[in-house]
Amino acid sequence: MCVCVCVCVFDDRAWYPLGRIIGGTIYPGLMVTSAAIYHILNWLHISIDVRNVCVFLAPLFSSFTTIVTYHLAKELKSPGAGLVAAVMIAIVPGYISRSVAGSYDNEGIAIFCMLLTYYMWIKAVKTGTLFWSTMAALAYFYMVSSWGGYVFLINIIPLHVLTLMITGRFSHRVYVAYSSLYVIGTILSMQISFVGFQPVSTSEHMGAFGVFGLCQIHAFVDYVRSHLNKNQFDTLFRAVISTIAAAGVLTLAVLAALGKIAPWTGRFYSLLDPSYAKNNIPIIASVSEHQPTAWSSFYFDLQMLTFMFPVGLYFCFSNLTDENIFIILYGVLSIYFAGVMGVMVRLMLVLAPVMCILSGIAVSSLLSTYMKQIDDVKVEKKKQRFEGNYFMRSEIATLFVCVMSVFLVMYTLHCTWVTSEAYSSPSIVLSARGHDGSRIIFDDFREAYYWLRHNTPEDAKVMSWWDYGYQITAMANRTILVDNNTWNNTHISRVGQAMASSEDKAYQIMRELDVDYVLVIFGGLTGYSSDDINKFLWMVRIGGSTDKGTHIKEHDYYTPAGEFRVDKEGSPTLLNCLIFGQVYTEGGKPPGYDRVRNVEIGNKDFELDVLEEAYTTEHWIVRIYKVKDLPNRGA
Amino acid sequence: MIVFREIILLLFALSALLIAVQCKKELSLSERVQQLSDAGTKKPVLRFNGDKFRQYVKGTPRNYSTIVMFTALAPSRQCGICRHAHDEFQLVANSWRYSQGYSNRLFFALVDFDEGPDVFQALRLNSAPVFMHFPAKGKPKKVDTLDIQRVGFAAENIARWVAERTDIQIRVFRPPNYSGLLALIVLLALVVGLLYLRKNNLDFLYNKTIWALGALAFTFAMTSGQMWNHIRGPPFLQKTQQGNIAYIHGSSQAQFIVETYIVALLNAAVVLGMILMTEAASKRDDVRKRRIYAIIGLGLVAFFFSLSLSIFRSKAHGYPYSFLLK
Repeated sequence: MCVCVCVCVFDDRAWYPLGRIIGGTIYPGLMVTSAAIYHILNWLHISIDVRNVCVFLAPLFSSFTTIVTYHLAKELKSPGAGLVAAVMIAIVPGYISRSVAGSYDNEGIAIFCMLLTYYMWIKAVKTGTLFWSTMAALAYFYMVSSWGGYVFLINIIPLHVLTLMITGRFSHRVYVAYSSLYVIGTILSMQISFVGFQPVSTSEHMGAFGVFGLCQIHAFVDYVRSHLNKNQFDTLFRAVISTIAAAGVLTLAVLAALGKIAPWTGRFYSLLDPSYAKNNIPIIASVSEHQPTAWSSFYFDLQMLTFMFPVGLYFCFSNLTDENIFIILYGVLSIYFAGVMGVMVRLMLVLAPVMCILSGIAVSSLLSTYMKQIDDVKVEKKKQRFEGNYFMRSEIATLFVCVMSVFLVMYTLHCTWVTSEAYSSPSIVLSARGHDGSRIIFDDFREAYYWLRHNTPEDAKVMSWWDYGYQITAMANRTILVDNNTWNNTHISRVGQAMASSEDKAYQIMRELDVDYVLVIFGGLTGYSSDDINKFLWMVRIGGSTDKGTHIKEHDYYTPAGEFRVDKEGSPTLLNCLIFGQVYTEGGKPPGYDRVRNVEIGNKDFELDVLEEAYTTEHWIVRIYKVKDLPNRGA
Repeated sequence: MIVFREIILLLFALSALLIAVQCKKELSLSERVQQLSDAGTKKPVLRFNGDKFRQYVKGTPRNYSTIVMFTALAPSRQCGICRHAHDEFQLVANSWRYSQGYSNRLFFALVDFDEGPDVFQALRLNSAPVFMHFPAKGKPKKVDTLDIQRVGFAAENIARWVAERTDIQIRVFRPPNYSGLLALIVLLALVVGLLYLRKNNLDFLYNKTIWALGALAFTFAMTSGQMWNHIRGPPFLQKTQQGNIAYIHGSSQAQFIVETYIVALLNAAVVLGMILMTEAASKRDDVRKRRIYAIIGLGLVAFFFSLSLSIFRSKAHGYPYSFLLK
């Protein structure tokens, strides 16, 4: 079934010594899209470098998203709603944060694909033609190729169909739309080698399959009902239903017991049970993007939309159609997921479009109602009998329209301010204000990576924590052990063990993994707070979570009072482990002072035996060490 | 002569009185063991204050060992690790209580810092939690304090240490955690029961308004950050050092429970305002009522929007915009 083109690419310069089958471990949509645009433009003799294509891909696709949002909201309500929704999504911070120029990540095109699929689906449900269903399936294929969030789609569309069945709105149109979408969409989605056979074996996809079966049954029952009289039909119905239900439950139980159906994977399970990740899988809990959302984060990213969204829901409920049910479901579900796991971006990103659409519906309905009531002093006399004109009607209406305009203006100002403050800084170059207000630039990361690029052998292997993996591969062009893809927890755990153990044990691990250089981040001189010491506890947790790391226990690194301290009171295990030595060797100004933790370091005379310092950047942020060879003669 | 006899009688009486008083204060061994085992069958972990500690754990003679956990469980002490240790300790004590070899040779006790600070001082303890074993004879040695740094406080490790010190084997039994499953079953039962009871009158399920209200309530709950409260467990509100009550947390990374309720109410008020305005414009009712609806709606919308904006301003430092209210 897997006919993917890029399955043969094997990257041996990442995840040394395991390597990585690129085709099988990423979603190809983003790369294929960039390559396609690059080739088309060059064929038209508009010569653009591929790097520029990549940099500007996200803004390009967010413009496309705006257009699709307009069409989607137009289908749901009216062209007016479409316009307002499009304007809102053009500037909403929740979406801008992930589509700035230079952010080359799956979400840039995934949101576009998702909204396109929704638009096609709504059209398919409204018209019930095979054409729109097939278009929806193609859009779904594009979505699957670009982002792992497609699982949300393949669950919300069946949920919509199920709701339609329950509310008695199931019709021939829905039947055609869903059956074609499911069959064609699933076959297409299995062409992506990263997805493989998941659509028929994992629990996340079983809902869609179940609803597909239910659709067939429902349609068949309708057909039979139209051909029999009532009594015959009732008896037949009851008998058949009970047998089928029993058989279905039995099969499912047998399959689950035999292990043919894989249970919910950790990442998705933690959405249903929010405390699961915290307790069981440290690597999921450590990614700061997987943290719950406080109300001010909602307000920060969405401002006015947080209270226009319920008004939109109200409008949809008062005018219930098949499409409105879909958008209501989408809104309520995405707001739950955004609340559970969405503070940095991922799920806030899925929430932003639906917020814009529903708010667009609300604003446009309110404005169109009240605009009609402004002025028309002459017509009032005629309408007196019908509308019951009320004194001050046009004044109230004018006031309301003014207030609404003020809201929209404030929304624009807010979005502009948020984007300029929070989402406009590059993450590889840091800046700070000096005492006199002048701006100081810390370009240490690039300095270190270019040093690695020019001063180390081509086949040197660099060990660092996984956050810096992609950067080292791209800018320093060296082989690394672990990177941001985080597909192999055991390998990351090994690196964590090396960082957290004493020098001798760490040296064994480093020799085993053929490490030549070690790279660590130190923020104590500049006050840069996301350095490796602040991430250290995660290294310990992940390091201790696999078999080979059972000697690493988190509470060893705390003081007897249970605190994490790096000064004299710190735990001896912490003060003697490898990363402590690397980070603090002759570190800090005055020597021995850590400006992030605001303490004097507890082990100032750390002498590293197995590593020697290779390079430290200007502001001591990045420190590179060379692993020494084994001594010539036994010690 | 007679006076001498009187004096001797008096002395006898006094000493008898003194002895009687003494006996009341110092219980005999069997009485202590009896009291301990009675209390122990009801509550496997006994809570001691200073006096009880001295009487039962330090009082002589003893033919039983006591394992004591010194802890600080009051919320103001903010000792999260004490709570975990307490759970594990409770597990061991329960396992002992219901084990085959349960006897009067071993008791589990707890001394909280707020109830027995003198004990902490006497034993020169300045951190918590600390597990100590007080043997039947003699004073506790260095190995009679559990080395949490090295071994941890998992129930199995505590049991192993107890076995090392007292030769009493305790098999730790962790009850399987069915709470999630149970909650789900109860919920399902409730729903089925409700449907069954009202099976003749299922119209309420089809009532759009109920679903609408449900969806709106859910939205207000989520956007005001209830999931954050559920996962992070913040305090209800905070009393600042000056004695004022802070309803709103100062930074935008955290929130109080009362703050989330306020925000939910604000959002609900604005939405209510907008709904009132819509109803006012589209209904065909009495003119005056509609006018009043519209005015109230407009007022609600403007006022509560400005209120929520100013609350947001106080949290996100540097935010320059405001509307009506500062």
